[in-house]
Amino acid sequence: MPWLYLHFQHLLLDHIARAREASAPLAVLCQGSRRVLQACPRAMARGVQPGTALKTALNLAPELVMVHADDNRQARILEQQAHWLYRYMDRITLYPPDGLLADAGSVRRLYGGLQPLREALQKALGERQLHATLTTGTTPLAARLLARAGADCFTEGTEEMATNLATLPLAATELEQRTLQRLTRLGLTTLGELQQLPAAELARRLAPETLVHIQRILGQRPEPQTSWQPPHEFRQRADFGLPVEKAQGLLFALQRILADLESDLQWRQQDTDSLLLILHHYRQEPSHLQVRTTGPEHRAEAFLNLLRIRLEQHPLQAPVETLELRVTRFLHRHTATSTDLLGETRDTGEAWHTLVSRLQARLGEQALKHLAPAADHRPERAWSACSLARQQREPMPEHLPLRPLWLLSQPATLQVAPEEWLSGPERISGGWWDGERVLRDYYIARLPAGQLAWIYRHNQQGWFVHGWFG
Amino acid sequence: MSDLLNSLLDDARLWRGHRQLATEPTPEHTGFATLDKELGGLGWPRGALSECLLDGPGIGELQLVLPLLQRMTKRQQCVFWVNPPFTPYAPALARADVDLGQVVLVRTENQPDLLWTLENCLRSQATGLVLAWPDSLAARDIRRLQLAAEAGQSICILFRSRQEACQSSPAALRLELVPDDRLGLKVNILKRRGGWPGQGCRLAMAARVQQDVTEASTVIHGPWPDHQSG
Repeated sequence: MPWLYLHFQHLLLDHIARAREASAPLAVLCQGSRRVLQACPRAMARGVQPGTALKTALNLAPELVMVHADDNRQARILEQQAHWLYRYMDRITLYPPDGLLADAGSVRRLYGGLQPLREALQKALGERQLHATLTTGTTPLAARLLARAGADCFTEGTEEMATNLATLPLAATELEQRTLQRLTRLGLTTLGELQQLPAAELARRLAPETLVHIQRILGQRPEPQTSWQPPHEFRQRADFGLPVEKAQGLLFALQRILADLESDLQWRQQDTDSLLLILHHYRQEPSHLQVRTTGPEHRAEAFLNLLRIRLEQHPLQAPVETLELRVTRFLHRHTATSTDLLGETRDTGEAWHTLVSRLQARLGEQALKHLAPAADHRPERAWSACSLARQQREPMPEHLPLRPLWLLSQPATLQVAPEEWLSGPERISGGWWDGERVLRDYYIARLPAGQLAWIYRHNQQGWFVHGWFG
Repeated sequence: MSDLLNSLLDDARLWRGHRQLATEPTPEHTGFATLDKELGGLGWPRGALSECLLDGPGIGELQLVLPLLQRMTKRQQCVFWVNPPFTPYAPALARADVDLGQVVLVRTENQPDLLWTLENCLRSQATGLVLAWPDSLAARDIRRLQLAAEAGQSICILFRSRQEACQSSPAALRLELVPDDRLGLKVNILKRRGGWPGQGCRLAMAARVQQDVTEASTVIHGPWPDHQSG
């Protein structure tokens, strides 16, 4: 069973370069030593090499954007890659901070060989602007060591893999420094030479751990792998080398993440209706933006429109260092139901969801309401406003009395004497059960200005207008 | 037909009143026969703004749009009420056979939000009717809304103060609503497409305060038939 290993030479660099629209030279700095660890091609062209001191690098390229190496961060980025690689390969194991192992044997039949798999992976990596070395090996460790050594060893056959492994320099086998020195003194430089020595002799001369390591490389000792499981949520981050000050600058990175979300949802065959955007600021509490759609949605464009409105309404509190998008709620996807074959009757449900989501994003969720009658005799309680999200309908009361179309939220004192009394009194008495007692006599009357009012007499406070027959 | 008439008819510059009728899609009738006649059978214009100019509430202004509301919500088209001055009373709407599931109440806090909301509602395919009570609108804003309504082919009715009657407006239909002393509503057409302004009619609006005759049907009346047991 061949193993496939992907070694990302400069994952952090690629990751940050993707989030940025402007192309300034980038470099990753070693945490302690103030030296350049990785440099992007643009920085390389200016003479910034891995190992260059920080001061020299800044002199060579004053606009250099610098990021500190951070293994935790890189491990998170690595997991993001596992997400999409999971579509291509099975049984992935993460080797943080920069590698991924996969069992290529299980998908070999699917692709019809390892070479087509490699092409598919190279293409996908190219689309994501990622750089990785792909190698195959008979054992997980062999594949990993070959990839880390930067060897171009992508081969189909087991024998070729063994040959490649034999040429691997001992310096690249991750052996202990002392053991390595001893072996070099013996005149051994490659793994192949070591392999030819009798096993009993090796066991006598080398430490037991060293032997285990070599046996693992050669496949003489099993090395079980725990495969990675994709989580039941979508989570992606975009790190900006320099903090972004304007919301406009976030959109570029958002666009890409949302495109990833769309394809992720496509693969899951699911939709979502809420996104959580977390903006991490420098030395400040992160700000959270929750965006909801009224219906299930999967299109990146629709999400982007909503987020754009939200970002317009809520200006950034502080420059943004990192942007994170989380989706934890997934819904089943329904195909749009069209009533006729030719699609002449438009399905307005989707247009409705788009419109209402847009309005809610700008005006707030409380600004839009559905109205419904409620079972109560008191006029101010005989209706309710509910949010649009709630779908279930309460059954309409069978009998509805004559009521005005306009109701005043607060009854207003009657200022003029009515000209004509049309109907009444209708006594409404109730509310003794919840302390909001109401005892009123309602009349319909025409006011001198020609308005039809629904007025009532309170037994102590006098006359009030409670509604208009609009 | 005479040659003179034929040559006149061929001239593209000649505007013929009845052609407009033929090219319009099925009109949205107001539901009031007299008013429909005055409007030349065009009803509420689709893809254009209409204005109702009135002094105060309670003169039958909602009764005027109620038939349209009923039809729109029956057709499962969404009706937006944007910034109404009072609460549209759900039991009364339900009683008038309006499907409340299609009625959406929108409140905006400021003028830019209001214009943005109206424009978005009008442009959407999902919208059937927009009823709006704007505080004040500049002619420029009305033109913008007019374009939005054209794009979405929806009906938009703006309720404005009667003081705006003297100002010109790009709206396709302008109605002045004045109550009379017999519970009726006088509708003066200030402007309409394909016709001259100046007509008016009186609509009886007394029905809105008449109790249903069938209302008491649930009450059981005597005299009771004698039950002869055994």
